[in-house]
Amino acid sequence: MTAEAELSNSTQPKVRLAERFDDWLNPVVIKELRQAVQSRFVITALLVLLAIQIIAVAIYLITATDISFSYDAGRTVFMILFGIMLAIGMLFVPLYSGVRLAAERSETNLDLLFITTIKPRSIIVGKMLAAVVLTVLIFSACLPFLTFTYFLRGIDLPSMAVVLAIGFVSVTLSAQIMIFVACLPVGRAFKLILGLIAFVLLVIGYISTMASAGGMLWEGIGSKVGSANFWQWVGIIGLNYVFQLGLLLVLSIALIKPISANRALPVRLYLTVIWVIGGLVALLGSWVEATHDPVIYWQASFNVLFAFSIFTSVGERDWPGARVLRALPESDGKRLLRFFFTSGSANGLAWTVMMIVATYDVCWIWWRLFPNFSDLGELVDSTRWLTVMNLYLFCYALTAAFLRRHLLKRIPPNLTWLIAIVLTAIGSTIPMLIGMLIFMNDLNWWREDYGLWLVGNPFVWDVAAHRNLYLSIGSFWAVLAIAFNLQWFLERIRGFRFIDPTDRLSVGELE
Amino acid sequence: MKVEVSNLKKYFGSTRAVDDVSFSFASGQVVGFVGPNGAGKTTTMRILATLDEPTAGQATIDGVSVIEDPERARQLVGYVPDSLPTHRDISVHEYLDFFARAYGLKSLKRRQTVDSVEEFTNLSGIRDKMLVALSKGMKQRVTLARALLHDPPVLIMDEPAAGLDPRARIELRELLRVLSGQGKAILISSHILTELAEICHGAVIIEHGKILMAGGIGDLLSDSVPRRTVLIRVLGRQEELHRELLQTPHIESARLNGEEVAAEVSGTDEACAELLAAVIARGYRVVEFKQQRANLEEIFMNVTKGVVQ
Repeated sequence: MTAEAELSNSTQPKVRLAERFDDWLNPVVIKELRQAVQSRFVITALLVLLAIQIIAVAIYLITATDISFSYDAGRTVFMILFGIMLAIGMLFVPLYSGVRLAAERSETNLDLLFITTIKPRSIIVGKMLAAVVLTVLIFSACLPFLTFTYFLRGIDLPSMAVVLAIGFVSVTLSAQIMIFVACLPVGRAFKLILGLIAFVLLVIGYISTMASAGGMLWEGIGSKVGSANFWQWVGIIGLNYVFQLGLLLVLSIALIKPISANRALPVRLYLTVIWVIGGLVALLGSWVEATHDPVIYWQASFNVLFAFSIFTSVGERDWPGARVLRALPESDGKRLLRFFFTSGSANGLAWTVMMIVATYDVCWIWWRLFPNFSDLGELVDSTRWLTVMNLYLFCYALTAAFLRRHLLKRIPPNLTWLIAIVLTAIGSTIPMLIGMLIFMNDLNWWREDYGLWLVGNPFVWDVAAHRNLYLSIGSFWAVLAIAFNLQWFLERIRGFRFIDPTDRLSVGELE
Repeated sequence: MKVEVSNLKKYFGSTRAVDDVSFSFASGQVVGFVGPNGAGKTTTMRILATLDEPTAGQATIDGVSVIEDPERARQLVGYVPDSLPTHRDISVHEYLDFFARAYGLKSLKRRQTVDSVEEFTNLSGIRDKMLVALSKGMKQRVTLARALLHDPPVLIMDEPAAGLDPRARIELRELLRVLSGQGKAILISSHILTELAEICHGAVIIEHGKILMAGGIGDLLSDSVPRRTVLIRVLGRQEELHRELLQTPHIESARLNGEEVAAEVSGTDEACAELLAAVIARGYRVVEFKQQRANLEEIFMNVTKGVVQ
């Protein structure tokens, strides 16, 4: 055996391992990183970041006169450098990821990926991982400067690590928000408006991250790291972060999936799973701390999510489509369960109502079981308030669906949510405006009867004097709305059956 | 290998984008998909590429349904859409490598495939060029290369020649000839009908979602234009020939164009052969006798009404 052959034999396993690793990598991550390292935008941003950091440290060291006596110098410089890094990270990484995806999300570019073996999940996860790698790159570039502040005194390593972790969480969450916005199936102009809104949110996020990180740093983190309370908060924030990131991720995946796919499945499955996990954590926390606070937070967060779900559900496709129906199980039980997790207007509404009722039931059982826990009143009040809010939104949504089917046939089903929003706006404001016009100078009306005219507003539960009226009218309307939509709903249930290929024409008629 | 589309329908609300479309083609055939804008060509092609689902009907590739089994069907189809890649900061080679990975090609096989596809589409020399810096013709070649990465037996090409300069069009035509020679079944839509006629074995003419005509190019020509124009050049006696032709059965009209007489013959090739024999028998010294064939453009204009949905 020659020396060359020996050498090649000895390196072969390494090469094979490297190749296997290369094959295993998500293609989207590789493409994104290849594009990033060749992008002038990325290179310029990194160089500007480093230059600003050097200039900032130099200016501070030159101008600070009492640096030898100051015990805050490290902390101050750290916050300056962290602020610069976070500004670049929270603005640059999300904008870079979002704008690039939005530009590539021309229908054809993504279509090209759909006809490969790559899954929509890999596309979004790949984009997100690339954003994470960019974030790590930015953080790594800044790390030497940040570590340098340790020698200026006033900051310890655990504090640095915690603040950096907060920064990392904020940057990655911001990137995922922008990726989500980029995936929305709207026109360029509307996407630009949404992008600007998201940008304002990023700026607000930046300010709040800086404020919370600064506050924690000045209060001192190092001393708290050993306490259980600290880790309890880390756990809660961490869980929230994972839930939110995951939700944005599954929503983005659903948005880029072909319309013929069961886009709702991962979203509803994910929401159900985090509803269960979040609920268990909230109940456990409530039981340990003897307070209803965690349950209030849990039910409020999910009721708000369900409010969005009501409106998005009525805008879903009317029928799940042949591709989805062909994949249905033949067994009745399994099919019934699948009904709630399948794309479709009726399916979405059924799932949302089921979840709202389940949330109310869990809260009801909990406050009956533990009436002595603190914040009982807040739990009862907030649960009823949000449930009635969702009752009204459900009525508006069903009314919109009915109107669209019978009177506004020219409006496509995917815009039913818009009709529902217009109806909500009309129902919330017009009665009140009429009342104001009629009784403008009547002081008694303003004192006592004014709340009556808010009856169509889903958000007025806090006007305690008229709660019975709000609930009665809402319930009556819900019964009417259900009655008017019952035939449509039953048809969807009857049509939700396994079909075989020979049955294609009937599927066509359904569509 | 056969691609079969039967009774395909695709409705968008009350609009019938594709309305009961049926046709088929096999390995080695290039089929032109012709129709005005909004005729339903792209919708049909997207269904064949598994990107859209039909309202009803069936489409199969080598027996694999693109509707029931899209994952398997995707392995059999290479799709070239009507738009060019817009990715920034990525070279031709990296772009193709990315799609080869997306098709699940591994290590050595991936490298070999990308290299050979680059060579076939004549991209080897520009493989390190940035995609955005390429001309339309080059980008079109990259798009074709991307569609060939997994060596599909069927190619669906939506307006691949749109916006290309004459040289790029000729190069594309040559590539398609080679691919068809390799046994690939190709469905190609284009507005440049003269080009299609040169490379296509058959054509499907669609308008308003409905097929107006379909078949081999020769059949289409004979079916769509029942009359043939025959140009006859004789030495002297042109006027006499013109007069005689006007009285001959199967001749619908005749006109004198200088030294040439153009006659409209109703009937088949048989009638043309009989006419030639009769002209010679009557002692005319025939220098030239040629049939002026109708082209795809003429057929298209004859059968379509230009209705856009």
